[in-house]
Amino acid sequence: MSRLRSGLETQGKVIKALMLRELVTRFGRENIGFLWMMAEPMLFAGLVGLLWTFIKGPEEHGIGIVAFVVSGYIPLTFLRNTFSRCVSVFIANGSLMYHRQVKLIDLVFVRVLIEFIGTTMAWLFMGTLLSAVGLFPVPHDVGMALLGWGIYFLFVVSVAFIIAPLSEMSEIIEKLLPVTVYLAIPFSGTFNLASWLTPAARDVALWSPMVNAMEMIRYGIFGNAVRPYYSVTVPLIISAICLIVGLALCSRVRKTMVVE
Amino acid sequence: MIACEHIHKAYKKKTVLHDVNFSIHPGQRVGLLGRNGAGKSTLIKLVGGVEMPTSGRVVRQMSCSWPLGFGGGFQGSLTGYDNARFIARIYNRDYADLRAFVEDFSELGQQLRMPVKTYSSGMRARLAFALSLAIEFDCYLIDEVIMVGDQNFQRKSQAEFFEKRKERALLFASHGPEFIRQFCNRAIILHGGVATMYDNVDEALAVYDVL
Repeated sequence: MSRLRSGLETQGKVIKALMLRELVTRFGRENIGFLWMMAEPMLFAGLVGLLWTFIKGPEEHGIGIVAFVVSGYIPLTFLRNTFSRCVSVFIANGSLMYHRQVKLIDLVFVRVLIEFIGTTMAWLFMGTLLSAVGLFPVPHDVGMALLGWGIYFLFVVSVAFIIAPLSEMSEIIEKLLPVTVYLAIPFSGTFNLASWLTPAARDVALWSPMVNAMEMIRYGIFGNAVRPYYSVTVPLIISAICLIVGLALCSRVRKTMVVE
Repeated sequence: MIACEHIHKAYKKKTVLHDVNFSIHPGQRVGLLGRNGAGKSTLIKLVGGVEMPTSGRVVRQMSCSWPLGFGGGFQGSLTGYDNARFIARIYNRDYADLRAFVEDFSELGQQLRMPVKTYSSGMRARLAFALSLAIEFDCYLIDEVIMVGDQNFQRKSQAEFFEKRKERALLFASHGPEFIRQFCNRAIILHGGVATMYDNVDEALAVYDVL
């Protein structure tokens, strides 16, 4: 028990040190650094929201279109950026394997966590800004939105644990990843609510952890303007399966990893 | 104690180490002899936990440094100070103390503010030695580089490793016999994927000489 605790304490220290190190390497010390992380999702969500306003009008199914696009696009940028940053994470950080307390899963976890924090900040900032001009509602149920966001995070972490070791085993992963993420967009709940789908399509869509999470997030934000369909157990079970597979792959890659 | 138990290491199909068994106890300074490509660096990486054995295991019952050499263990794009800060954090040491020791021992001066990728191999080795000495391990793993730098730095490293830290253990890879004769009290010969431990350094060097 005490060994487990000191092990966890060490991992906590390692993760903190890795995060600070990653922030310095990625953003340097002298510019606005971390704030850049917020810029990309905000620009994307803002401009796509604007585009949709011109194409489809200011509302869809009774929900403000800018708020709808922003609420979907920001999680999607988190997913996409995280997955692409997990490719070749082990090669780039091989020299850290010189320090035994640093584990492969720490490297992946830190990358995901940094994206998660950046995206959450972008979301808060964007939401505040848009609600100041009346384009974003005051969240109906913050707890529900956070629960959904947490489930989204869990799923992305679990899949990241699979992508990182697979990209080490085969270069094809790196080539296939962008198109796979693109094809997954219809199953991500980014641009549609489950209630807009036919019952048959909805049953399929609700196998996707992202759709369940997005339903919870959207209900948390828009309240009774939307009719949510979600399950908590389905995304948790799928994430747990991905996590087990991912951890097994990581430990396999570690065994054969060549460090310069 | 650090023990290697039935270590086997293969890269793809190529076997580098067959069945390596030995143990290092506190105070033992073990020279690791072997021709180029005999697997000295591989063995040091396995003992340090940088790479994993294909089968067998390494038991560490004392703290053990990362393999000290020309490369490895640093992030090239970060400065010497940033690397020191990172190492202080993960090894749970006070950064101010560590920094003071590194500045004094490495004599790198302003260079510590530069990215490590701009360092010469000798400068990297100085930084690595300074950091690992500041952390105080029970066993040091050294890959080839103990005698880098100028005379002054050599004397300093020797004093720190062989006089002030006499009771520590050491695994020191080299194909130069002089340092092993001078500083080690036993030796391992790595040949054909098998390690043989000799309690007598002169005997080991004699055997190594005719390999």
